[in-house]
Amino acid sequence: MSGSHLVEVTGLHKRFGDHEVLRGIDFTIDAGTVTVLIGSSGSGKTTVLRCLNGLEVPEEGRVRIADVTLDFATRPGKRDLGRLRAQSAMVFQAHNLFPHLSVLQNVTIGPTVVQRRPEAEVREEALRLLDQVGLADKAGQHPFQLSGGQQQRVGIARALAQRPQLMLFDEPTSALDPELVGEVLAVMRDLAAEGWTMAVVTHEIRFAQSVADQVLFLDGGVVLEHGPPAQVLADPQQPRTRTFLKRILDPI
Amino acid sequence: MGRATAAVAALLAVLGLAAACSVGGPASTLDEVRDSGVLRVGTEGTYTPFSYHDPATNDLTGYDIEVITAVADRLGAKPEFVEAPFDALFASLVSDRFDVVANQVTRNPEREGKYALSAGYTFSEGVIITRAADSSISELADLKGKTTAQSSTSNWAGVAKEAGAEVEAVEGFTQAVTLVKQGRVDATVNDNLAALEYFKTTQDASVRVAAPTGDSSEQVFALRQDETELRDAINSSLRDLQADGTLARISDKYFGQDVSRGEAATQTAEQPAERQSTWQLVKDSAGPMALATVKATLPLTLISFVLGLAIALVVALMRLSSVPLLAPLARVYVSLIRGTPLLVQLFLIFYGLPALGLTFNPFTAAVIAFSLNVGGYAAEVIRSAILSVPKGQWEAASTIGMGYATTLRRVILPQAARTAVPPLSNTLISLVKDTSLASVVLVTELLRVAQVAAAPTFQFFALYGVAALYYWVICLVLSFGQQRVERRLERFVAR
Repeated sequence: MSGSHLVEVTGLHKRFGDHEVLRGIDFTIDAGTVTVLIGSSGSGKTTVLRCLNGLEVPEEGRVRIADVTLDFATRPGKRDLGRLRAQSAMVFQAHNLFPHLSVLQNVTIGPTVVQRRPEAEVREEALRLLDQVGLADKAGQHPFQLSGGQQQRVGIARALAQRPQLMLFDEPTSALDPELVGEVLAVMRDLAAEGWTMAVVTHEIRFAQSVADQVLFLDGGVVLEHGPPAQVLADPQQPRTRTFLKRILDPI
Repeated sequence: MGRATAAVAALLAVLGLAAACSVGGPASTLDEVRDSGVLRVGTEGTYTPFSYHDPATNDLTGYDIEVITAVADRLGAKPEFVEAPFDALFASLVSDRFDVVANQVTRNPEREGKYALSAGYTFSEGVIITRAADSSISELADLKGKTTAQSSTSNWAGVAKEAGAEVEAVEGFTQAVTLVKQGRVDATVNDNLAALEYFKTTQDASVRVAAPTGDSSEQVFALRQDETELRDAINSSLRDLQADGTLARISDKYFGQDVSRGEAATQTAEQPAERQSTWQLVKDSAGPMALATVKATLPLTLISFVLGLAIALVVALMRLSSVPLLAPLARVYVSLIRGTPLLVQLFLIFYGLPALGLTFNPFTAAVIAFSLNVGGYAAEVIRSAILSVPKGQWEAASTIGMGYATTLRRVILPQAARTAVPPLSNTLISLVKDTSLASVVLVTELLRVAQVAAAPTFQFFALYGVAALYYWVICLVLSFGQQRVERRLERFVAR
């Protein structure tokens, strides 16, 4: 059974100083599915995501993505973290595009400099990816010339160019003006339809309802409730889940 | 008696051993001079009429230059002159940058103890020079409480001090007289020869010889203490030159009389030297100064800056490193460089390191000192510029698989450059001007050429003015370059 999961996370513990952010996280992600992580701020959802690509190193637990397994009981070396990191690509809340590079260069720098794939091939693929996110005409521009939504879509193209097993989205729409949120979510919906495996931290409950295969509700460093959106979002079993959803959907 | 004989014998044995040690090693300097046909001579080049550059031809000439050339000729060698301020001559002699100092070195017991001194080739007496209108000094004792300007290591500084005068250190006689004329000091003590020559060339009536000091002195060549063999060869050459009248002839050319024998001269020679107009002098000097700028000042600046930036980057990364010991090591380096004067660093590398067996030529020594200095200052600039790049950039680079070095080169440094360029430009512009310090370690750069031209002519304002103009133009060009670079780096930033 476990062999069919693309991602397997067991017993993750992570502390920042005295504060234990993750207190035993377990979940799995099947290939080709979308997992949405929700929870109030401080619940540890972003930290979970960052443990999946080694931006944070947990003190305890195991992470397996495809055929790469890291057991954090012993502190992993740079090489091990690099192998884990190569399995995924991340889209950041603050996009973190390289401001000194053109849109196209932002997308090609990983495949050419790190993966050392032939430049012509990478360029062609990058232009196709930019076209896919609706920015074919912006290839020669620089990030500062784009709107927030466009910047975030370049960030998605940059991540896709890595040809990752798993796409990580860390609150990709939280920093955007409300009218720009839709264009980014639309791109993500297309990716899901194409069969990308995605883990998404977001507050967009409606996106979760319509796109997610699995919803994880994190609270106080543990997965309090998980299941298909029809269950977790429409019929939550835990009172804390209910309170959270009520606050998000009906803030006034 | 028997015991005394034994002691003397033992002493002789020790001395013999010592002599064997000092001679026994490499070939002696005398042999080296004869073999190579080169006698390396240290001299000021700014001490008229003994050692100076002829304003018309810019050739090094003077009484001492001609005498040592004649001596070298007798030894079968050609002199190779190294010019340095008087205060640097002895340090350079000891660190083996040349073999003999030909610069009116006065014999005194202190120097007898430290150097091998040749026979005298000039005999003179000391005089006190004051402003013409100043009648307060009529004998040496009147110097008590007055201020005089002297080269700090010249023996006249000692004479003035002993008489109770305050001594202001200057670089040479010409500056000293200028300070007297300007009323910045009351007097300067020097030998009558320098005074004679000064009055002969300038016809200056604003200063006068107020009194003799009562000291007569003998000027000699100075060599390293263990070079007695070369000293003896020089002495025998001097005897020959005296016998065949060469010394008398050279002496007559500069002083109108023979000062190479015991009797000193006091009369003023008659004919005034033709004086160059200031404009002509500036025109004549502008070329050599531009040449020194291109051949020394600019290369010194650019090479030191590039090397300094490389050092600074390494030091900045060490300071940011989590590897134990690297950060404190880098902090100590930065602290040492910023906490000590550049001039001292320059002296340590040029005059100090030879004691540890590390002798660099002047240009190399200057490059090392300036690079290390730039490295210390720029390291902090680069460190804070790297820290100014948002953490998200490191994370983004890391998630697309870049390692430390690639991230630094492709992502962080291009962005840090924008923050670093304005303060680094300041460092570069300071460096341009700091290279003038290289003149004290024998690099013939822009300021040094101005000094050489100014010394025999007293045209300080004109020539230092030209030097200042040159530095200013270089800095203007660099500021313009800075603006262009900044504009280039600002391209990709929303404003």
